[in-house]
Amino acid sequence: MSIIIESHNLSKVYNPDTIPVKAVSGVDLHVEEGEFTALVGPSGSGKTTLLNLIGGLDYPTGGNVKIDGIDITKMSENKLIDFRLMNIGFVFQAYNLVPVLTASENVEFVMLLQKTPKREREKRAKELLVEVGLKDKLNKRPSELSGGQQQRVAVARALASKPRFILADEPTANLDSQSTENLLEIMAKLNKEDKMTFIFSTHDQRVIDKARRVVTLVDGKIVSDVKQ
Amino acid sequence: MLFKIAWRNIWRNHTRSLVVIASVAVGLFAGMFMMAFFQGAVNQEIENTVETQLSHFQFHNPSFIDDKEVNYTIDNGQAIIYQLKKDKNVKAVSGRLVTTGMISSSSTAAGVEIHGVIPGDEKAVSSIFRDVVQGVYFTGLKKNEIVIGKKLAEKLGVKLHNKIVLTLQSKTGDLTAGSFRIAGIFVSRNSTFDETTVFTRFDDLAAILGTGDGIHEIAVMLKDGQKADELTKIYKKEYPLLLVQTWKELSPQMALLTGIMDQMMYIIIGIILLALMFGIINTMLMAVLERQREFGVLMAIGMNKPRVFFMILLESVMLTCAGIPAGILFTVATVGYLAKQGIDLSSISKALSQFGFSSIIYPDLQQSMFLPVILMTAFTAILSAIYPAIKALKFKPAEAIHKI
Repeated sequence: MSIIIESHNLSKVYNPDTIPVKAVSGVDLHVEEGEFTALVGPSGSGKTTLLNLIGGLDYPTGGNVKIDGIDITKMSENKLIDFRLMNIGFVFQAYNLVPVLTASENVEFVMLLQKTPKREREKRAKELLVEVGLKDKLNKRPSELSGGQQQRVAVARALASKPRFILADEPTANLDSQSTENLLEIMAKLNKEDKMTFIFSTHDQRVIDKARRVVTLVDGKIVSDVKQ
Repeated sequence: MLFKIAWRNIWRNHTRSLVVIASVAVGLFAGMFMMAFFQGAVNQEIENTVETQLSHFQFHNPSFIDDKEVNYTIDNGQAIIYQLKKDKNVKAVSGRLVTTGMISSSSTAAGVEIHGVIPGDEKAVSSIFRDVVQGVYFTGLKKNEIVIGKKLAEKLGVKLHNKIVLTLQSKTGDLTAGSFRIAGIFVSRNSTFDETTVFTRFDDLAAILGTGDGIHEIAVMLKDGQKADELTKIYKKEYPLLLVQTWKELSPQMALLTGIMDQMMYIIIGIILLALMFGIINTMLMAVLERQREFGVLMAIGMNKPRVFFMILLESVMLTCAGIPAGILFTVATVGYLAKQGIDLSSISKALSQFGFSSIIYPDLQQSMFLPVILMTAFTAILSAIYPAIKALKFKPAEAIHKI
């Protein structure tokens, strides 16, 4: 399997000029294609910061991140936006769907940004929503969906752009156990059948149990990296 | 889809959007109404000045204009009047004597401009006879009748049928005087005119001045006032030794007033739109800050900055576009009604009449006013969205996503 993500000596210090807080400190991490990796650790251990740095949502204060060999920390903000659009899928803790768009439109929107033709967009959005079990909810707006359903739309949206990998920041934190179970099944299936790479931060033991690799962070440093 | 998102976004907060739409509508209405109001006032003022004083164009001896010397009459004046009356564009022609002098009552005296007119001809050129509120515009029965303004009558302490004395300089340069009886008192829309202008019959004034059938001024009223410039050019060529001037040339202050009004209108609209701009900036800024997390997510999943900028601009333009038709409809309906009924400003008519304005203004909404006001409003909307849009572009996705 080829390496998709590599970080070298990655660091992020918040408030460097006032009260410096080392959120991530000297992290070396390699993620291979097809991994199903959980980032775990207590609150404030740097999970979200690490995901933000890997996903190009933030710039590090030291070290670098390479995606498929390309150093994204050297990219301008505008180039990074385009890079994220074409290469990375995101699933957020609070779902973060566009509230004025329907489930189908939310999924289509990413493809619109990629300039995918309308017919193809509609077809793929429908396929993805069927795949995550929302066949009957295509035209529902987020406010008409449950938390679990919204998160499944978010997964479909993340998949829509055909990314190299998906980053999920505590995707099950707001979900009940049934919804968590459903979402994990979908993610595991996508990983197994479509070889989609997932990296997710979590506190949830059920999610950790499903992961095939568990990276533990404490105070911004990797303290263990276990394949299970 | 960006249009769809922008349109749906503006309806996320109905009240706020409706307030902006109403602001745009009211701003547009205020701007266009002011323009229509001023245009109406200027039109009436021009009409008033043309009808009561200047007519569409006039002939003079070029030397007469400088000092109104009695001797500077128009050569062949009667022949010119005869020729003008044959012109199919000409509605009416009146030959006048014009001089300055002193009018005295038993108690006081005042300086006035005296117009010697042939009542029959003058009635077709000037509407002042309609403004006679006491007595008549010359009975035609007696000699030495005079028609004066009410304001002058009050100043002199005279009433209808009282006698007054006009003292003036004759053709020979001697001071001469004549006794006149007040046949009529008028109140025009211009109180300064009422105080400084009197009318006598042509023959009576000519007898005192000793000018015979000499004429100082030929006033020409056209069937179509728009042709004044064109016809003046023709007659200037035909009578190169005479001074032929349109009302604009005769009263440069009137032409200036029209120009100033135009500029003033744009300044007022500018001020209204500036206020509107702050309203839109406030609303859009609130909308953007409220959706900080959403913008963070949109940028995280790959919506680039030009698109974010365009979407915010689009929301502002859409709000404005919804307000513009409402404003236009409201303006057309209101001005349409008031153009017939008039706006009665009689409570401040004294002040208005000093500037020559009527106390009832009939607003005039011209088609040419729509485009500039609409464009200015649309421009304001775009301008107002720029700051909130720039603000949105400064959001950092990693931080914005976690904003509540």
